[in-house]
Amino acid sequence: MRRDRSVGRLLTRAFGLLVALIVLSGAAETTALIMQRRVVDELSSHVQPLELANAEMHSVLADAQRSLRGYLLTGDGQLLDTYHVARSSYAVTGRKLRDLAQDREAGRVSRQLQEADAWWVLAERQREAPPRSEAAAGYVTEGKRLFQQFAAENRAFDADLAGRVADLQERSARLSVVTTVVVVVLTLLAAVTAALAAVHVAGRITRPLARVVSVIDRRRSGELDLRADAGEGPIEIQAVAQAVNEMAERGDRIRRAEQDVARLRAAVRQLGYRIRAHLKVEDAIHEAVRGLAEIIGADHVLVRMAPGQTDVPPLVSLHDEHVGGVLKELADCDVGWLGLGDVWATDDPSAEADVQPPEAERHAWAAVGDGPVLTVAVGGGDERLGALTLIRDGGPGWTAVDVRLVESIAADLGRGVHHARLYEREQHLVARLQELDTAKNDFMSTVSHELRTPLTSIAGYVELLLDAEAGELEPPQQRMLQVIGRNTRRLRELIEDMLILSKIESGAFRTTRAPVDLVAVAEQVLAAIAPAAAKATVELRTEVERPLELSADAEQLDRVLMNLLSNAVKFTPAGGTVTLAARRGDDEVVLVVADTGIGIPAAEQQSLFGRFFRASNAIRQAIPGTGLGLAIVRTIVENHGGRIEVASAVGEGTTVTIRLPVQ
Amino acid sequence: MTVVLVADDDADIRDLVAFKLEQAGLEVVAVEDGQAALEQARAHRPALAVLDVSMPGLSGIDVCRMLRADPVTAGMLIIMLTARVQEQDVEGGFSAGADDYVTKPFSPRELVSRIQALLSRARA
Repeated sequence: MRRDRSVGRLLTRAFGLLVALIVLSGAAETTALIMQRRVVDELSSHVQPLELANAEMHSVLADAQRSLRGYLLTGDGQLLDTYHVARSSYAVTGRKLRDLAQDREAGRVSRQLQEADAWWVLAERQREAPPRSEAAAGYVTEGKRLFQQFAAENRAFDADLAGRVADLQERSARLSVVTTVVVVVLTLLAAVTAALAAVHVAGRITRPLARVVSVIDRRRSGELDLRADAGEGPIEIQAVAQAVNEMAERGDRIRRAEQDVARLRAAVRQLGYRIRAHLKVEDAIHEAVRGLAEIIGADHVLVRMAPGQTDVPPLVSLHDEHVGGVLKELADCDVGWLGLGDVWATDDPSAEADVQPPEAERHAWAAVGDGPVLTVAVGGGDERLGALTLIRDGGPGWTAVDVRLVESIAADLGRGVHHARLYEREQHLVARLQELDTAKNDFMSTVSHELRTPLTSIAGYVELLLDAEAGELEPPQQRMLQVIGRNTRRLRELIEDMLILSKIESGAFRTTRAPVDLVAVAEQVLAAIAPAAAKATVELRTEVERPLELSADAEQLDRVLMNLLSNAVKFTPAGGTVTLAARRGDDEVVLVVADTGIGIPAAEQQSLFGRFFRASNAIRQAIPGTGLGLAIVRTIVENHGGRIEVASAVGEGTTVTIRLPVQ
Repeated sequence: MTVVLVADDDADIRDLVAFKLEQAGLEVVAVEDGQAALEQARAHRPALAVLDVSMPGLSGIDVCRMLRADPVTAGMLIIMLTARVQEQDVEGGFSAGADDYVTKPFSPRELVSRIQALLSRARA
């Protein structure tokens, strides 16, 4: 069918037809020209000379007859001369006529010449007849008859020739019309053929080609499943579509392969994260072994650690049951032949020459199977930790991608093992520190316990003495016992504060945080401090916003408020005020304890939170204290991630501001 | 006369408490360890026992638990003396069945008044 025809053949046919039409047109025109020329030739070289010769013949004979008749009638010799001239002319004209005549005219010419000859015979006789004689007159009549016979022949011939001329002219005109018509028709045909061929070719080439181009464009813009229709259009376009489809297939194959590699890379990256996330060396190794078997595909995946590096067994395999079986020999092989960063793969052309597995290793591989082997060194930092080996029972060798990915996993494993070891060491250290901390706390607890028992005796007996249980005391004795009692109390407070500080300082992680209702804590502390404040006639004021919650250790917060408020009461003279204010700030709680007390000298405010520090004016005024209260407060606040500030002026008062994060 | 059992391994404290209680008009049986405390408690059936928590051998808490477990001594009033401020000690004391506790160092006056308060509440 036409659909299957090739564009080439189609174009060949269309152009062949065009050429044929043009050649035909040319041939028609040439033929017409030749024929016209023939008509003209016949007219000019034959018919017209014949006509001329015929007319001349008539003229010669008419001259001869007229002059002969004149001579006969007049006897004028001059006329006879004319006759003679005509006679010689006749011979020439007659020959000319005979020469010009062709077969078809020969009959008429010879008949005319016979008539003329007949007249001439009579004329010769006439000429010899005496002029103006009877005989002469008779000859004239006879001559006249003969001449008319000749003239009739001559006229008939002339008419014949005129008919020929008309005929030729008519042929010429007809030929001209026919030629014009033929040329016009052929030209039109050629034009139509050319137009049809153009339209057809456009339809048969441009449209299918445009479809193929659109397929290419749409593929380029992402419609990758699209294929060109290779069963449509001329075979050349089909071939183009076919080529486009083949390129698409190849592109898809390449892209699929790239996607596979990308997927593999992503899986390997994920595996790397998982390996590095493990905190135990053994877990990291097992993760690597399982992941590699799944991602890269190997029948045996095993990790051999260099001796003395970790606590894990010398060989960890995907299949534990193989360790004592097919992998037994391999487990005994030292991986020392692989340096840091070395790789060895079966049939790897890029393998470095100096990485060569020893005979024992090769032997051990052979015991596992005769498939391809890939071994990569595992290193952490600058240390050689061991080697990662993949063995296939058979099947394809390792691709460059496989090798690179396994190297990447080996690097991750190295880092993972390195980190896990560091972590394990750190855990060990933390455990040691915790043990030490517990020991210190136990010691502090024991010490304080051991100190309390003698203190109990001292304080108790001093109290008995002061209570006059052992008899009345003299005033100086009483004063002295009071000093002992006061210092016993101070010692007791010191022991308690030291114990608290030791507990609090033993690490922020012991601070147990929970939502705390600060309003409740404040009320509790205010209630506890109220008797002391009343005794010292110090007014307690509170400006606490409600509700006020934060995440903190309630017991420690209680201690902070207790220490600050008891300090404030202790250092405020009678008639003063102590104010506790608490409010919510941006993501923090602000606690303010302000007093109108004796204040802290500016130079000493820096050291205020140091252990055993006591302000000079407090010592001077013999206000008791351990010097640990604010150190405890600072430690607790810092454990909660808060800040503490002091503003104070001697004689005016002190304001302590604490900011604690809500979370 | 109301009998009070005092158990403390520290002789000075034992004497201090005994002296103060006798001054307050109570009869005191003083012992220096847990085992003796159990024996004396069974022998004298005191109305109240003052037990030091940390004693060699049986601790005050052990003695307290055993006294409560024995029907003969189960109704006895018990005050614990503790040198530790840790809550677990206090809780341990109460869960073992103590009626009150006093933290060392304590004021003898305060101890006596607590004992008298417990005794009068028990009589009422």
